[in-house]
Amino acid sequence: MDKVTCIVVGAGPAGSACAFALAQKGIETVLFERGRVPGEKNVSSFVLYTSELKRLIPEFRKDLPVERTIVRTDQVQLEPNDAKALTSYNYRWIDDPLAFTAFRRKFDAWFAKKAVDEGVQLISGMKVSDLIKDGEQVIGVRVGAEELYADVVVGTDGFHSIVGEKSGLVQIWQPERCFLAAKEVLDLPSEIINERFQLTDGIGCEQGIYCYHMNDLDVFSATLYTNVDSVSLAVFARLDELQEKNIQLHEQLEMLKQHPYVDNLIKGASLREYQAHLLPDGGRINPKSLYGNGVLLCGEAGGITATVTGMGIPTCLLSGMMAAETIGDAVKNKDFSKHSLKNYLKYLDSTALLDMVHKSRKESDYYASTARSDGPREMETAADIYNQYWETNVKYLSKPSFSLLVELYSRIGQYRIPGFVRWPITALVKLFQIPARLVQVIKRRLRGRYYEWKS
Amino acid sequence: MNGKASPSVDEKMGTVKIKINKDAHITVNKEHCKDCITRPCLVVCTAENYQWDEKQEELIFNYEGCLECGACRIICPCDAITWSYPEGGYGVKYRFG
Repeated sequence: MDKVTCIVVGAGPAGSACAFALAQKGIETVLFERGRVPGEKNVSSFVLYTSELKRLIPEFRKDLPVERTIVRTDQVQLEPNDAKALTSYNYRWIDDPLAFTAFRRKFDAWFAKKAVDEGVQLISGMKVSDLIKDGEQVIGVRVGAEELYADVVVGTDGFHSIVGEKSGLVQIWQPERCFLAAKEVLDLPSEIINERFQLTDGIGCEQGIYCYHMNDLDVFSATLYTNVDSVSLAVFARLDELQEKNIQLHEQLEMLKQHPYVDNLIKGASLREYQAHLLPDGGRINPKSLYGNGVLLCGEAGGITATVTGMGIPTCLLSGMMAAETIGDAVKNKDFSKHSLKNYLKYLDSTALLDMVHKSRKESDYYASTARSDGPREMETAADIYNQYWETNVKYLSKPSFSLLVELYSRIGQYRIPGFVRWPITALVKLFQIPARLVQVIKRRLRGRYYEWKS
Repeated sequence: MNGKASPSVDEKMGTVKIKINKDAHITVNKEHCKDCITRPCLVVCTAENYQWDEKQEELIFNYEGCLECGACRIICPCDAITWSYPEGGYGVKYRFG
């Protein structure tokens, strides 16, 4: 009977980050991946932020397999016969990059390799099909006919999480909480990309595209970003909406490609690969579903992603790191029960991860309700959102203002609550936010002083 | 808008590498489908793997061309679709994810 300390299921960003951090602590870890190589099952529809990766692997830029460094970011509003675009170049990102475009096949394999270099045992081409339980406690995994035992199993196995569902922590996702994405990678010579997007070699562009009134689906979003000699174009829509309006997503993609704005950018390109993926939309509500007896859930498996804000990879990565911290403590105390692993929430709370997930959820609720009835947003609003995306989002490690009311308010957005209940709460929150911000600023100052004094 | 012929899903699927497993990872209880009113699986599948045969009154599906998004599993209103990821090493192989 083989036994290790920790099994991580799924070598995506969350899994590799968790395994990497565990190996750094000297904990014996086995990392399972169902693809022949890590990354071949994975699809990204956005750029790769490296803010969290930097914490884990400071010298990551030496050999990170990237396509282009993001310098140009666009917010685009499309209607059937017009397009508005807000273009912005941020040249300081040339020297101090914030995000890259990358292919997951290369990135995930690179990341898993880093974990292996730290001492993780990677077993790829094997699907974990079931969990082994001793009463309530998860004590191992079943892989085909084989069994492997462990003190703790970390589920980082993505959207349809086998670990999550078999352990009973999470249920299958509901259609109204799912985004379906269809993506095409289109071949285009790099000179033409540079010319059309006004870029230079190694410098990339990312466009968030919001489409209004293009067909029955009043509003849907898309992203377009440049690789070295190809562009990736992805469209997203809610699963329940597609069903309701009887719209096929790949037709939606074709329609978008025929819009003059997009057509001008991708004219003459040939299809390199067609992809599809399902994304959870801003998290599961119940934080108790993230930990159980001998089991933890990270990344998409636990719903810790921020789909709408495009921060999927760093949020997954960070949750993996926090799981590793939790397991580090559990190994010290030799206690792998639910009670001990509850610390995971404490670690998650030390970052703003959960807030981020809720924010993403609110954003997507906004698209679902307000945007649909109000029509296109004004460009100023788009600019505000743009600033949030690129400036404040990546600094989310410092926790934002946090009072009970704000917490309550952020969670209230998830439920359909009548206006007369929500409005007074909103008003109260706005009122309380001012002192809360002050307290936050003072706290931050004091904390800074404390660390100065300590060092 | 400019009336170009758009490539069909079949043509698109030609760009995707898939290693086919002889054991299906999707099974459908076709009895349930006969009573199903909406049949959303026909709409949401991005690879058009589900088709409705009017004559036979039967759901036709092929698991071989699956992109493993699992939308059918989520959307199926009558629990007819049993879906799991293909066995390790099989299924879709994205090169440019």
